[in-house]
Amino acid sequence: MGFIIILHMSIPINPKFVFVIVPAFNENAVINSVIEDVSKPGYTIVLVDDGSEISLLSAIKKKSIIYLRHKINLGQGAALQTGIEYALERNAEYVVTFDADGQHDANDIEKLLNPIINNKADIAFGSRFIDGSTQNMPKGRNIIIQLARIFNFLITGFFLSDAHNGMRAMNKKAATLINLKENGMAHASEILSQVKINKLRFCEVPVNIKYTVYSTKKGQNIWSSFRILFDIILNKFFK
Amino acid sequence: MNGIQILLITGIIIIFLYYVLKFRNALLDLIILVAFSGVGIFFILFPEKTNIIAHKLGVGRGADLLFYSCIIFFLFIILKLFARIRRLEEKLTDLVRQQAKSDAIIIEKESTSRM
Repeated sequence: MGFIIILHMSIPINPKFVFVIVPAFNENAVINSVIEDVSKPGYTIVLVDDGSEISLLSAIKKKSIIYLRHKINLGQGAALQTGIEYALERNAEYVVTFDADGQHDANDIEKLLNPIINNKADIAFGSRFIDGSTQNMPKGRNIIIQLARIFNFLITGFFLSDAHNGMRAMNKKAATLINLKENGMAHASEILSQVKINKLRFCEVPVNIKYTVYSTKKGQNIWSSFRILFDIILNKFFK
Repeated sequence: MNGIQILLITGIIIIFLYYVLKFRNALLDLIILVAFSGVGIFFILFPEKTNIIAHKLGVGRGADLLFYSCIIFFLFIILKLFARIRRLEEKLTDLVRQQAKSDAIIIEKESTSRM
């Protein structure tokens, strides 16, 4: 309680005001270890159970978390938005998004927060392609991501080194302005559009992605990218 | 009157009755419904008449004209339904989100407290 972590640039912040949003759907097998990793520095964890078949609450062992549950499955975008809104209501200073499938490294949270805390950016995107941070990425996955990058560039004008990376950190301002309407996976592109519309400052930070058998299986395939494309194009016309 | 005409006219009458009985409608709805059904039955009984309209529009047969206009009509319906589903989804999301936030469970180590 009340202890302070010193980040690289020596600006002390209370980790209680860093809200880590973990959207999860049927991640009972890995959620406990993910929560354990993230909670070490004392961040406030908001686990958003997106209508999992078996409540994720039973999988969590002895950790301080805030548990939100969607009664039905709405999608990752919706879960993130719920978590972000809740965090803001609880006076979060910084909001971090973190995937529940165990592919992210909890140590990267600090790296992502760094530019935000130092007021260099409003939102920091994790990128698996800068600084050579990737580990054993499947080939097919790479092609999809490259296509998604180009697509993001076409609709937003920002050419990031990564697309659809679940790790992001943002300050209160960005968290307030970003309002995800895409319930599904298209939210990753939507965030980028909203960064552009709201003229938020952004940067990219290298993060590790662990491609385990589990996370690859849970991840997206070529078909889901078509669905995302479909979502974005149709929803451009129907607000 | 041949078989297909009887079939189609029966279909229109059934739909008409179903609609009127199922949804208690405003007068305007009823008038539109009667008009549409009437036109439908008229063209079923005298299919050659559609050819006259088709020729005026540069289409060979009345059946073809109907086919083309149906494509446009159904596309329009699909888009309207899509927009409606989107709106419903938004409302549902809102509802589920509000409930999730108000039912938040805060776990402090071992003990559980409700907010």
